Amino acid sequence: MRRRNIVQVGAALLAIGISMPALTAGAFAQDAPTEITMLTMGNKPTNGRLEAMLEKLNELLVEKANAKLDLFFIEWADWQTQYNVQLLSGDDNVDLIGTATDWLYAWENAEKGAFLPLSPEMLQANAPKTWAQVEADGHWDLTKLADGKIYFMPEDNYTQYTNHGFFYRGDWAKEAGFPNGEITKFEDFTKYFEWVKANKPDAYPWDVAGANEAALTGYIQGHTDFQTLQGISAGNYIPFHTKASDPYTVTSWYMEGDALVEAAKLAKQWNDIGVWREDALNYDGDTREELYAGLSGVEQHHTQTFVNDIVNNMNTKQPGSDPKFFYWGQENGNFFKDIFTHGAMAVSAYSKNPEKALQVYDLIRNDKEIYDLFNFGIKDVDYVITADGKLGYPEGYDSSTMALGTDYWWGRTDEFELPRTTQAPNRAEIIAALDARAKDYPYSTLIINKQNIDSTLAAMAGVLSEYIPQLQYGKFEDPAAAVAEMRQKLKDVGYEDARAAIQADMDAWKAARGL
Amino acid sequence: MSGTDRSRGHKSIWRQLADSKVLLLMCVPAMIFFIVFNYMPLPGAWIAFTNFNYRDGIFGSPFVGFKNFEFLIKSGQLWMLTRNTILYNLAFIVLGNLLQIAIAVMLNEIRLAWFKKLSQAAMFLPFFISSVLVGVIAFNLLNYDTGALNALIKQTGGDPIKIYSSAGAWPLIIILVHLWQSTGYGSIVYFAAIMGIDRSLYEAATVDGATAWQRIRYVTLPSLKPTFIILVLFSLGGIMHGNFGLFWNLVGNNAALFQTTDIIETSVYRMVLSQNNFTTSTAVGLYQSLFGFALVMTANWIVRRINKDYALF
Repeated sequence: MRRRNIVQVGAALLAIGISMPALTAGAFAQDAPTEITMLTMGNKPTNGRLEAMLEKLNELLVEKANAKLDLFFIEWADWQTQYNVQLLSGDDNVDLIGTATDWLYAWENAEKGAFLPLSPEMLQANAPKTWAQVEADGHWDLTKLADGKIYFMPEDNYTQYTNHGFFYRGDWAKEAGFPNGEITKFEDFTKYFEWVKANKPDAYPWDVAGANEAALTGYIQGHTDFQTLQGISAGNYIPFHTKASDPYTVTSWYMEGDALVEAAKLAKQWNDIGVWREDALNYDGDTREELYAGLSGVEQHHTQTFVNDIVNNMNTKQPGSDPKFFYWGQENGNFFKDIFTHGAMAVSAYSKNPEKALQVYDLIRNDKEIYDLFNFGIKDVDYVITADGKLGYPEGYDSSTMALGTDYWWGRTDEFELPRTTQAPNRAEIIAALDARAKDYPYSTLIINKQNIDSTLAAMAGVLSEYIPQLQYGKFEDPAAAVAEMRQKLKDVGYEDARAAIQADMDAWKAARGL
Repeated sequence: MSGTDRSRGHKSIWRQLADSKVLLLMCVPAMIFFIVFNYMPLPGAWIAFTNFNYRDGIFGSPFVGFKNFEFLIKSGQLWMLTRNTILYNLAFIVLGNLLQIAIAVMLNEIRLAWFKKLSQAAMFLPFFISSVLVGVIAFNLLNYDTGALNALIKQTGGDPIKIYSSAGAWPLIIILVHLWQSTGYGSIVYFAAIMGIDRSLYEAATVDGATAWQRIRYVTLPSLKPTFIILVLFSLGGIMHGNFGLFWNLVGNNAALFQTTDIIETSVYRMVLSQNNFTTSTAVGLYQSLFGFALVMTANWIVRRINKDYALF
């Protein structure tokens, strides 16, 4: 009896002990700011600048929305894997998720339920400014799945070009015999590479690491009118295309035409010259730093990187190197403006505070004070405004050790952006020249139902990941035979069925739009 | 009558359990481990038969029968993966055990105590090197442009070899690296078994005039037979499971080597994680487990036919 009493008293005490903190927390919860975590891509900065900024930012966020923001970084090492795994894990600590339809698997993750569907009412109530702007531009349709629901908020109010190409050195090209050091055709890089190989013994003509297919896409884009259908990926490959001359017939440059074989032959020629490391597939060094150090003749990435980073870094680290950019499709104008969902923000399906998350996003996107702080940092510490109104950096600033590193690509706006002192001086001309030639992506509202072809896409990914890296690095003795073999395997795993399924969606889309 | 027997048997089981309290307690952590990581996730294998999506969850997602297994056959790689996985493991098991026995016997014959300890430690060390580091070391030794091996070949006037594009070289490299890492560790078990052999057997052999070689041949090796069989049996159960860390870090995404180096684990890792495909990975895991289960049963059945005492069950 006595023993039972002790047990009862003990249990009661325990219960009180457990519920006390909950009660006290509950009593204050109404006033405590909500913690919102944003998932972003990038290497987490370690120099303390980000934390200093966040401290100030959170004061503003508490004041304006009673919320606090924290960042969660997916680092660049193996980022595709890390990103998808993080989203699939159902982690409820992440509220806002940076995403993109053409490079960050937004459609795949939306389809699999990682993102919360956003109702118009919810957006109007919690992100009114974002809602109004995207609505006025008519861009919500670009963010809907077949169920007609909105899955993310597009970065549709920001001008950038992320069309890929080669950064190369004008000074070396000039010495290699190109007038003005300008290379205007993809094949002409053979001459440039040969010159680098012969005259710069310390440098690789193109130091490139790991699996990629730039040597193939660069050639194909400039020699055909193939255009990529976004949103249908097979692993790291985007295997379906149309032709500008036949825009409603789904095809694939991996399957049709001679361009892939020609590209693979050129790649083999480059491999035989020794353009890249023999073991490039197993190499994982930082090739951009190699370019900056004068140890690589070429680096492959996009316009935005060129105007924001490459020009300034090369001019400082390799004075007189005269950095230039050759973009895929430069020969024939076969390249596109950025789609409006190259950056976007989604709300996690597991978020405990989706409304608050939207409120925070609306502020970051539309409140100038918060936007400046979040994107540029603390004024006069992280950045300065120069006399001619540009965004510059304080005396003694070194971007490689003192960068803020917010890595916010999910809702920038032209209105709040300033020209930067570190940008290429001719940025405006470069953008204008691209604007004059770039095509608009025609299939922004085309939604492909992938439910029935998922396993085919997975099987195609297996085949492509076996052949494409080897074709890109010229590792097959007979590229034509290898391409034929790959095409046969793709057919065997059901390429034709997948193509037909996508064609059906294309036909329906075309009919609905009366095209 | 049978009723009394049963109740007595029943009682004695409980008594047996009660008598082995401490032993059972010692088993609890292992039991918890297997329940949590091996038995509790079992129902999740259902994913292999669904078109899984996160909203509907494992049991709410649409049922698609064997469609996910089609992928394995469609991709045409199932045979290659199974072959690679099994052949590598066979090489690991056979060569590994032979080497481990040889090392254990040699250690046993070493008379200098300090040298015995030293060689044991030296052989044990590679086991503690993470396969990430092993991959880095291998790349720095073997790569074409800056690798140590090719630097040596070039210095001596030879033509450097393209190891990272010769698929044929990799079975040898991977087996060597695996043996280098695991032999020292594995030999401990055999060494311990040798320590447990009755000393009087050796004394008797010596009295009979047996040479050192004859003592090994007629005393040590026969006494190791049960240990050998049990260890091989255990490893046969895992023959469908590859050493992911080693393969992934040595080969990575180098498609030129897949023909001879791709095992089930690495292939699934690549395809699934770049494609978000849970269903396929589960399908492969299930295939792998069922195949492995059949192998264990078969191996055990064979052993029981040979000698009942050596069988696991």
